[in-house]
Amino acid sequence: MSQTASASPARAAAEGSAAAPAIETAGLRKEYGRKVALHDLSLAVQRGEVFGFLGPNGAGKTTTVKILTGLVRPTAGQARIFGLPAGDPVARRRIGYLPEHFRFHDWLTGADLLDFHGRLAGLSAEERRARIPEVLHLVGLAGRGGERIRNYSKGMAQRIGLAQALLHRPDLVLLDEPTSALDPLGRREVRDLIRGLRAEGLTVFLNSHLLSEIEMVCDRVAIVDRGRVVRSGRLADLVGGAPELRLLLDRVDDALLAALGEYGEVLAVEPASVTLGVPDLEVAPAIAETIVRAGYRLFGLIPVQRSLEDVFVSLVESKEL
Amino acid sequence: MNALAIARFTIQEAASRRLILAGVVLSLAFVGLFTLGFAFLNGKLAEANATRPNPQMVAAFGSIMAILGLYAVHFLASFLGLFLSVGAISGEIDSGTLHAVLARPIGRADFVVGRWLAYVGLMGVYVALMAGLLLLVARLIAGYEAPDPARAMVLMALGPILLLTLSLFGSTLLSTLANGVVVFTLFGLAWLAGIIEFVGDALSNEAMVNLGIVVSLLVPSDELWRGASYYVQSPAFLAAATAGRGAIPFAAIAPPSTPFVIWAVLHPLVFLLLAIVSFSRRDL
Ligand SMILES: Nc1ncnc2c1ncn2[C@@H]1O[C@H](COP(=O)(O)OP(=O)(O)OP(=O)(O)O)[C@@H](O)[C@H]1O
Ligand SMILES: [Mg+2]
Repeated sequence: MSQTASASPARAAAEGSAAAPAIETAGLRKEYGRKVALHDLSLAVQRGEVFGFLGPNGAGKTTTVKILTGLVRPTAGQARIFGLPAGDPVARRRIGYLPEHFRFHDWLTGADLLDFHGRLAGLSAEERRARIPEVLHLVGLAGRGGERIRNYSKGMAQRIGLAQALLHRPDLVLLDEPTSALDPLGRREVRDLIRGLRAEGLTVFLNSHLLSEIEMVCDRVAIVDRGRVVRSGRLADLVGGAPELRLLLDRVDDALLAALGEYGEVLAVEPASVTLGVPDLEVAPAIAETIVRAGYRLFGLIPVQRSLEDVFVSLVESKEL
Repeated sequence: MNALAIARFTIQEAASRRLILAGVVLSLAFVGLFTLGFAFLNGKLAEANATRPNPQMVAAFGSIMAILGLYAVHFLASFLGLFLSVGAISGEIDSGTLHAVLARPIGRADFVVGRWLAYVGLMGVYVALMAGLLLLVARLIAGYEAPDPARAMVLMALGPILLLTLSLFGSTLLSTLANGVVVFTLFGLAWLAGIIEFVGDALSNEAMVNLGIVVSLLVPSDELWRGASYYVQSPAFLAAATAGRGAIPFAAIAPPSTPFVIWAVLHPLVFLLLAIVSFSRRDL
């Protein structure tokens, strides 16, 4: 029954397809009876990325993650993990998963839960002995492993879930709203943890509707709505699509607007301020110099970036669930 | 390997929920009660026999007491098996604890088989211990020797195993409550069918006998008990019963047929397979 991953050359080839993205889905569709949870979901997550998957309630985020872990079967379409079909035991060995509801067998102690999961993940007794205190420490539960999960607070339960996801040193972690139960400090800890994982070369798939969180840690994002990806790309490109500068001045006149027109598009004019759409924020110093040389007094030059929230709201129309 | 990890986990779970402890305490209480009753009746019988000798009654006493005790064990074991397994899958689905576990590199089959192995092991040990204790009591107090205790125990264990497999299958499809209603009804139906068959036999009513046979093929739990009962009654008692003098309504006077025993072994295997298939198809 030994399932050592690289036992056969064929397996090694399948696993070692270094070019295969960490996650790849094509035309994924999931119907629950009449209800269509996913329509035609295609996305790719490259290795080593922190990928944010965001969308409103009921958009299909959890359904997608469950398909990736093999808990749910798609009605149509394909999902691959490191080039292997989702649900394949070898693929699952490389995944760490924190479920949305992080419910665990609460009659176990935290350490016993990790031991059970370590066993299922194929860790040897020594590996488990060494690794369990490590992950407990990593998620801020050092010294609490001997307590029953029943007596954990909600945040502690979510932390033990994170520990469980990281236990076997996976290559890909799927986190379904990992900070939903955490206090602000806990959220910050998890952000740091995710950054640490990226530094180690792991791929992180982060489900969330906490936009600020996504904004702080993700390299790329996909926004999903009603079972479809409505926008995806590098976070910087999404939010920084068209940078704007807001200038605060002592006066605004035609000569000034003409001068500013050289640098970009004047978007809005007020008695003492101008909003300028520019191709690149690099032009800011030159603009400042021009204005001052022309004898205007400059009180402020503020780069305005579209926040992820602006993007999200513009893409995801309010709707009935 | 993974199935064994799940089996181990399932037994730990039963232990930590005090299920095993409760089962052991209540069962020991039952054995104690049985011992007291047996000793008391045995004393009365010896007294009566001293004044007016009745060798036939003395011979029957051991068989009847053993059957009564084991019949109770059969019920206890059947209920225990059903309670253990009635929410084996559905309960886990309801509490949401399966997501993290089944995202691990283990198959759905591993999970079902692991649970099954644990329950089968628990039931096997339980039946062997309880039946063994009761027969030991009968032997120590009345010097009663059951003809074939090993065979009786195997058949007795097979009944609860068959029931728990049925309810394991049910729990992959139904909620715990619905499954409980269904499997306890089936268990009661099988019991009733056994009685109907017995009465039908006594009245020579073929329709009743056939009804009993059909139900006992679908859910052979009661029929298995009857098969087991044959091997604990003394040959003299059986001979008298066959001659039409005082058979016990819930015990058999003929050994179970080989095809029936084969079917009773296949039955849980079929339902285990169905449970695996049904669980494998389920979205979590
Ligand atoms: N088991 C199920 N049976 C029927 N419908 C389901 C089931 N699971 C999910 N759905 C439906 O599929 C859609 C997507 O659900 P999903 O849980 O994937 O959303 P989500 O993006 O994770 O939402 P949230 O942000 O609220 O967690 C919803 O409309 C939901 O009602
Ligand atoms: Mg969700």
